[in-house]
Amino acid sequence: MTPPTTPNGSQEDLIALSNVQRPVFHNFLRAFYPFHPNYAMGDSTVTLPLSEGDVVLVHSIHTNGWADGTLLVSGARGWLPTNYCEAYDPDEMRNLLKALLNFWDLLRSTSTNDRDIFGNQEFMKGIIAGVRFLLERTHCLTRESPTIQRNESLRRGRKSLLSELSALVKTAKRLQETLRGFPRREEDVNDTIDEMILKAFKIIVKGVRFLDLLEEDRRQRAPPAVTVMATVVEESYIPPTPPAESNGVEQGQGDREDAGIRGAEEVRRAESVASHHISADGVQTSTAANKRLSSIYSRTNTTGHPTSQLSPSHGNRLSASISHRVSLAGPSPLSHPQNLVSERLNSSHDTFLSYLGSFIGRLHLQSQSRADLALAIKQSATSGGELFAVVDTVCRHNSLGSESLDQARAAMYDRIRDLVYSARDILSNVGPDADDVIMPQDNSCLLMAATGCVKAAGECVAKTKWVIERIGDFEFESENGNLGIDLALFEKVSESRPTTPEQKIVTDPKPAGPSPTPVSKSMHLSMDKPLPEVPGDDEFPEQQDSEQHSPPASRPQSLVIDDATSSMASSVSSIRPILPPLPKLTTSLLLDDSYSPTTEDSHDSEYQNSYRADTMTASSTGTNSTYLSRDSESSLVSQTSTRATTPDHALGPKYQPSLSELSATGSSAGTEEVDDVESKLLEKTFAHELMFNKEGQVTGGSLPALVERLTTHESTPDAVFVSAFYLTFRLFCTPTKLAETLIDRFDYVGEAPHVANPVRLRVYNVMKGWLESHWRESTDHEAIPIIQHFAEVKLSSLLPSAGKRLLELAHRVSSSDGSLVPRLVSSMGKTNTSISQYVPADTPLPNPIMSKSQHHLLSNWKAGGSMPSVLDFEPLEVARQLTLKQMIIFCSILPEELLGSQWMKKGGADSPNVKAMSGLSTDLSNLVADTILQYPEVKKRAAVIKQWIKVAYQCLELNNYDGLMAIICSLNSSIISRLRKTWDIVSPRRKEMLKSLQAIVEPSQNNKVLRARLQGHVPPCLPFLGMFLTDLTFVDIGNPATKQLPGASSEDHGLTVVNFDKHSRTAKIIGELQRFQIRYRLTEVPELQEWMQAQIVRLKESDQGNVQVSYYRKSLLLEPREQALRTAVEPTTVNNHNNQKADLFGWMSRDRGHGNTVVPL
Amino acid sequence: MAPRQGRYQPAREFHVVVLGAGGVGKSCLTAQFVHNEWIESYDPTIEDSYRAQVAVDGRQVVLEILDTAGTEQFVAMRDLYMKTGQGFLLVFSITSASSLTELAGLRDEIIRIKDDENVPIVICGNKADLEDQRCVPRTKGFSISQRWGAPYYEASARTKTNVDEVFIDLCRQMLRKDDAGEGYLEEDKEYDPYSISYYKKKRKQRRSDRDRDPHRPKCVIL
Repeated sequence: MTPPTTPNGSQEDLIALSNVQRPVFHNFLRAFYPFHPNYAMGDSTVTLPLSEGDVVLVHSIHTNGWADGTLLVSGARGWLPTNYCEAYDPDEMRNLLKALLNFWDLLRSTSTNDRDIFGNQEFMKGIIAGVRFLLERTHCLTRESPTIQRNESLRRGRKSLLSELSALVKTAKRLQETLRGFPRREEDVNDTIDEMILKAFKIIVKGVRFLDLLEEDRRQRAPPAVTVMATVVEESYIPPTPPAESNGVEQGQGDREDAGIRGAEEVRRAESVASHHISADGVQTSTAANKRLSSIYSRTNTTGHPTSQLSPSHGNRLSASISHRVSLAGPSPLSHPQNLVSERLNSSHDTFLSYLGSFIGRLHLQSQSRADLALAIKQSATSGGELFAVVDTVCRHNSLGSESLDQARAAMYDRIRDLVYSARDILSNVGPDADDVIMPQDNSCLLMAATGCVKAAGECVAKTKWVIERIGDFEFESENGNLGIDLALFEKVSESRPTTPEQKIVTDPKPAGPSPTPVSKSMHLSMDKPLPEVPGDDEFPEQQDSEQHSPPASRPQSLVIDDATSSMASSVSSIRPILPPLPKLTTSLLLDDSYSPTTEDSHDSEYQNSYRADTMTASSTGTNSTYLSRDSESSLVSQTSTRATTPDHALGPKYQPSLSELSATGSSAGTEEVDDVESKLLEKTFAHELMFNKEGQVTGGSLPALVERLTTHESTPDAVFVSAFYLTFRLFCTPTKLAETLIDRFDYVGEAPHVANPVRLRVYNVMKGWLESHWRESTDHEAIPIIQHFAEVKLSSLLPSAGKRLLELAHRVSSSDGSLVPRLVSSMGKTNTSISQYVPADTPLPNPIMSKSQHHLLSNWKAGGSMPSVLDFEPLEVARQLTLKQMIIFCSILPEELLGSQWMKKGGADSPNVKAMSGLSTDLSNLVADTILQYPEVKKRAAVIKQWIKVAYQCLELNNYDGLMAIICSLNSSIISRLRKTWDIVSPRRKEMLKSLQAIVEPSQNNKVLRARLQGHVPPCLPFLGMFLTDLTFVDIGNPATKQLPGASSEDHGLTVVNFDKHSRTAKIIGELQRFQIRYRLTEVPELQEWMQAQIVRLKESDQGNVQVSYYRKSLLLEPREQALRTAVEPTTVNNHNNQKADLFGWMSRDRGHGNTVVPL
Repeated sequence: MAPRQGRYQPAREFHVVVLGAGGVGKSCLTAQFVHNEWIESYDPTIEDSYRAQVAVDGRQVVLEILDTAGTEQFVAMRDLYMKTGQGFLLVFSITSASSLTELAGLRDEIIRIKDDENVPIVICGNKADLEDQRCVPRTKGFSISQRWGAPYYEASARTKTNVDEVFIDLCRQMLRKDDAGEGYLEEDKEYDPYSISYYKKKRKQRRSDRDRDPHRPKCVIL
């Protein structure tokens, strides 16, 4: 009765695991099945047909598993099912793929100025470095490398890759010219950019192709005898792209044949290649997921095990584990646990067992009506069918242990059939008029059959679970497996052949594309669209080239199942005739069969002939279709796309250039350009160690890469980058290190003669700029010996005058303290800004508003008379003098004072001006409080408050936010604001004014109001320094110092590089501050300045302790706490004393009552 | 104080002020708390750089954190910042005894400015990962915690230990105070804000509330 024990817990573990795994967004997918949407031809369709091996740039992946992607081979954009694809990210290609992403982002970006980006060749470096990296990693960098020499197809592949690259370089140069040209036509620029994107895609396609060839080469050269090695090689085998040159594989084969002739040496080399390959695999398979994803199919493998490495469920897993770059809200239809195959398996198994159980139970009761029997059989068979359907799905998703599972599945099928047969026999033997009761002897027969079912089902389920564990749980959509066979049908069918659980899982074998409505709509609809079922393994190869129904595989025991499968297959293939002619699919299978040298030749000539027409096709793809139009960025419809443009509706396969066309364009490029590109490739570069954001700004990089960027020869380096570098480099390297890296750059550029001289000049210029205007003797002096040595030896020998000049500079900086050029000139925020821009120098200075009596008061005070009060002066003039005083300090803040939270360290010793600025603010606040509190009379206090409100208002008029802040803080502090009686006398108008001033300095929402005001503010303006300090602090602590380079530069883990983004942000904030370091054009009134200074000094002398506490005491003395009148409306404000005088300092002594132990810690 | 929101308001908003001497890593705590790990780079200049939504005992709370890191020298501005706060996180470094001493002054100031002895406060000993450089013994933290009636946590921004916990504890206190504030008017008949005995009673009650609440750690040590 009890079913055999099944492995428990496995699926729970799996679910847990898949939940824990962080979803990975794969930027590139590769199709391992062809996908032909059944209504791809509709004008509005956005579903992309895929050919096997196609590489797709993914823009977004919907939670339903459909991805918005661009097919690299054609540039077509649309929806594609991720379960037909696998992640594509081989080590060798990683840098190139990354470069393409940057390239794409940059070229698609409309937020940047074309001229800025494309005015130089800087943006091309990533792609070139990516290609270089690919060739380097595959040991094919030079034409002379043994791999290239040995293998003709690799040589061709390399060549066509390079010619694509050179085509792109050429186009980029043309773009530069177009941009320079006048008048320049916007369409021309956009067309060229579109063309470049297509060309960049082609480079990737060629790169993929090249890598495939190499893999093929390696695979074939690997000694087949060593099985371990063979599997490794097999696993790493990557399906070929739709071949650009169909002769690649055959060439490899020819090569293999040659190997025998070439003899022992060749074998040895082959072995070394193979062993090298294993180490490469070790890298590739470092993570489990990676291994799985890279262990794609090997249709051409020799074991005869069809598609043994292929597990279509990967697709499902992939889509389940893929997430959108920008996380998508809302429940994922994929995450319904009831759709998980393990869940379905369990539930259908349970149902089946329960029916069989009750059936067996009734058999034991020895009596059963005919109808009962029929019903029970029907139920059992139906539920068995459901279970069978689940198992079958797993079988089709599985390729690993299919044999044992197949057996178990067949066994279960047999048992169910036996049961059905026995029942049919019993039912048919009994005449319709006979007794309704089944005979006991029949019972035992049924009993045997039923228990057999239980046992077989148990085994089968156990095996299925084992398989699921290995291939990963996946989801599938299915209708209820209930066949709904009523008894009559059962009887009827039983005459001819056994009823069987029929395939019901694949209810819709047609790959259902997202609805062919425009994107905005289909976006929504596709939420509910299931992914198309991945083609089964059995029929797949046969479908490759035939439009015929694939013949059902004959497996006697499961004939009906196979029928079902084949009917599914046929319905898949029956879609095909509707499809338009697709680019010729040349699979490796085909290649093996159809290779002949003549085809190769004819192909070649065909390429030559069709070249012109082909390039036209390619460019028309770029120009005519809107999908690459950069304007479409603004008409972004798809909510889920991150770099979305609307997929072009007209983009059917008709725009898809045939593969031969593609290769033709590639091979057509002249040899000269290829050579040019080759020389470019051979340049040593660190370009691949840079990271960019979508605006093309450097966000990270190793020091050599940053220095390379600094000394690029093709253009004037980006001013923002250069100033940020000069300002912050001491935060990520030492001056010595910088000098050394610059010299290193000077040296290695010598390997590339045609760029050596401009780069060397740049190196010299960077050093010169450093010494002239960014030198900080205290830290940088350690680099002097290195710079001097460099200037004397290396620089002087190549550029004598430059060497002399540098020596001179080095001598001068070490003798004089500080930089040679006044620091203000070098401040980054003020490039091209000067006072004259905002306040013309010839505007007359405003006359001070000082009456004679006011002058008199001041001179009287200087002669020893009483000190005038703030009330004696005009608010505007007080505000002016205050602003002048503050601005002098503000303007002397040096950028380096603001780096690395320096002003907080060592008591601000290294940031004297920041410290002075905050000190002055505090003094001003205290002065406000002090002048108010010095009068015992309420009216006088109110008058002073009024006066300060006016001064604050004038500060705002002068755009002095620092002064405004200080005054408001004081007026608003509890010390002053609690003086109710005083405030009662202040006029409502002044109070309103104060309120509006308060609103400006309100710190909530991250100083929202203040920030909005400063945004684009024109100097002169004195911003609140504290805000900059807080921003700088949080940039400093909120961003790590280093980043991991995603590429595979140092074996399998990314290189740790400088997080330049952090430094750019720091520099940006400092630049913003510097923008305001411009003096006001106001007349100084020395007497008034003296008076202010005297006031501040007086304050500092009078109070040494905690000023705030003493002011609060004063405030309490002036206006003691009010009693009883407070209503219960303010329950939280406590006032727990009746005797006000005794409890004057109650707030202070309260917790000290527990013992005077607060301080001694 | 911000206008009190209705009892059934789904997400309440509280202003939290983070205070402490410079160099105790308080801003690291803030950054750690508000920083979304998925964001590649942190830009503190945007409006909601310091806003965070947390769920506390099933209630959604929006925290606006005021951390004026870097402006410790602007002493006079502290008053303004404190005024806006409803809850205070007092941070010191366990590697610096003087940083704890400074807290006493800050707490005095808070109580003076808020004019409320029961203002929600959490004491946080940061840099708990630097055990070998510890200068403030745990018992010291404990005793201050008891004296001030505020929970004490030892946290580490670097190892992300107890970072969320300190903010959530503060939330809990603010929520409780908020709820109690509403309760005063409706339920508490013997309310007399000027009687000392009332407050003693109220505090006792609060203490016992706390003790009954299993989720409320008084002192948390790593």
